[in-house]
Amino acid sequence: MSRKSLLLLIVIIAACCAVPFVFDPEKSYVVYFLFMASIYVTLAQSWNLVAGYTGQVSLGHHAFFGLGAYVVAIMWSRHLIGYLDPIGFILAGVAASMLAVLVGIPLLSKLKGDYFALGTLGLGEIMRLITIQLGAFTGGPMGILLPSSSFGTILPHYFIALFLAVLAIAVTFYMARSHIGLALVSIREDEAAAEASGINVLKFKVLSFAVAAFLAGMSGSVLAYYIFTVEPQGFYGLNWTLYPVLMCVLGGAGTMTGPIIGGLLLTAVFEIARYFLPEIHPIFSGLFIILAIMFLPTGIMGLRPRTMQREKGGVSIGRLLTKRAKGE
Amino acid sequence: MLKILTQVLVNGILSGTMYGIAAIGLSLIFGTMRIVFIAQGTMIILAAYGSYWLFIFLGIDPYLSIVLVVPASLILGIGFYQGLFRKVARAGQFPTLLIAFGLMALLENLMFVMFTGNARAVQTSYASYALTVLGIKVSFVRLMAFIMALAGTGGVTFFLKKTMLGKAVRAASENLEYAMMVGITPHAVNTITFALGMGLAGLAGVATATTYGFDPFSGFVFSLKAMIALAIGGMGSVAGGLLGGILLGVVENYAAFVLTGGWADVVSYAVFLLVLMFKPEGLFSRDVSAKL
Repeated sequence: MSRKSLLLLIVIIAACCAVPFVFDPEKSYVVYFLFMASIYVTLAQSWNLVAGYTGQVSLGHHAFFGLGAYVVAIMWSRHLIGYLDPIGFILAGVAASMLAVLVGIPLLSKLKGDYFALGTLGLGEIMRLITIQLGAFTGGPMGILLPSSSFGTILPHYFIALFLAVLAIAVTFYMARSHIGLALVSIREDEAAAEASGINVLKFKVLSFAVAAFLAGMSGSVLAYYIFTVEPQGFYGLNWTLYPVLMCVLGGAGTMTGPIIGGLLLTAVFEIARYFLPEIHPIFSGLFIILAIMFLPTGIMGLRPRTMQREKGGVSIGRLLTKRAKGE
Repeated sequence: MLKILTQVLVNGILSGTMYGIAAIGLSLIFGTMRIVFIAQGTMIILAAYGSYWLFIFLGIDPYLSIVLVVPASLILGIGFYQGLFRKVARAGQFPTLLIAFGLMALLENLMFVMFTGNARAVQTSYASYALTVLGIKVSFVRLMAFIMALAGTGGVTFFLKKTMLGKAVRAASENLEYAMMVGITPHAVNTITFALGMGLAGLAGVATATTYGFDPFSGFVFSLKAMIALAIGGMGSVAGGLLGGILLGVVENYAAFVLTGGWADVVSYAVFLLVLMFKPEGLFSRDVSAKL
């Protein structure tokens, strides 16, 4: 990242910080929109780390998101942590990455490509069903009702979500630019060659999986503090995997800016559709997904000239996918 | 006790065949196009609605509605391939997976808006009729679903093994490049496969309409179960898909019997993960090398 784009990033972050003071968070929709967009950008960027950079297509992101939310809900409802407790956020992230390491070691060492995707899809479902079955501990199918009287304003949630989005971008940036990123990209490009050059493939795969899970778990906990009702359908919903995936693919997976652009754009589309077409908006969201993939399969960042991409060190999902389709 | 265990086994086999036909559809589509078509279950539900409305408005018996629902599904399958997947069919599993997801969201919500979210079931005069064989109760509609699944599997197997078109589909799923060299057009093969997969979804839809209650959103679980059946049975083999489905049904029913109903699904996902990890080519796969 050049000095110019770093400056641009700082300006954008500063602008985002100023938004709630310009628009009244009680009345304006803008703050809520940026709050949701930040959560989605965090999820999309963390997924980007696993799929875009490491080439391991996970469909189990909602397992980590939901687990993060439940960690906060279970502990807060038992008065172990308080409202917007930093310990809660950290524990949510830690629990999610522990799950990622626990299932990542067997899954990532045994499964490749489609099979890994299917395996992680199963993980999300298992988490949802176990949560329903645990009864009193997790609140069963009805979920946990949290004391919503503690809610004052969206401002703290907004800043925490914004911080998480910046953290996700920073972590991805750091990992992509350091020797870790080189290892991850080499695993994506050719696993056998990476192994032959002395890279501990499993270690790096699990590392990126765990870091992504940490971020996903934290964003789940932020939303749990905002929604106050943590129930399995909502928090273990497949949408928490597929929307970030779509954002990442639409923006351009394996690039730094792709998930940010995709996240902002799609949150806008979904929110506008929800606002103007409250009854039938999921139809249009579904339609939009189809159209976006059909006419823009390489992502928005994939439209940029090749040379610029090389400079950024990113690879559009298009190349990754054609490679995959050839069965390499 | 033995009688109860046998009863559970029979129930498992009967409900498992439903997963089986859904799995065969998925397996055909995955085998030739590498598309994980997660909208398969939603297509089944759409077909079930077709059968339901034919019964409500025109009084057509669900089993008679097969002659309308299955051809309609075949045509819809051709439309889906030509309209949605043709362009991106070889762009890798990701765009196609997302298109399938978009289609699932689109169909689910379209059905929700048009038919409301109320659970439906076809109430025929024979819906609660059950045969008793050697003290084992067999529900008539489930037995019919079982027979339909067997007929569907048989039909697809015959098509793939004995007809020129079917042989072309098999050739393309085994090695596309060689198939193209002998003059097989990939798009034609893909269209046929998609139509077949959707036709099976139509058949499964009729069977679902008569045996289970369904609502617009029950398709996703069906797709997941079909994927589990596929993973158990092995991708790309027709008989494997059916056997995988039956095995899954049996496991689920025994799990529900030993534990409680809610844990049955957890057990089936655990089986799924275990099979993926220790025998990713499936339990009934004959040719291991060609399927990955």
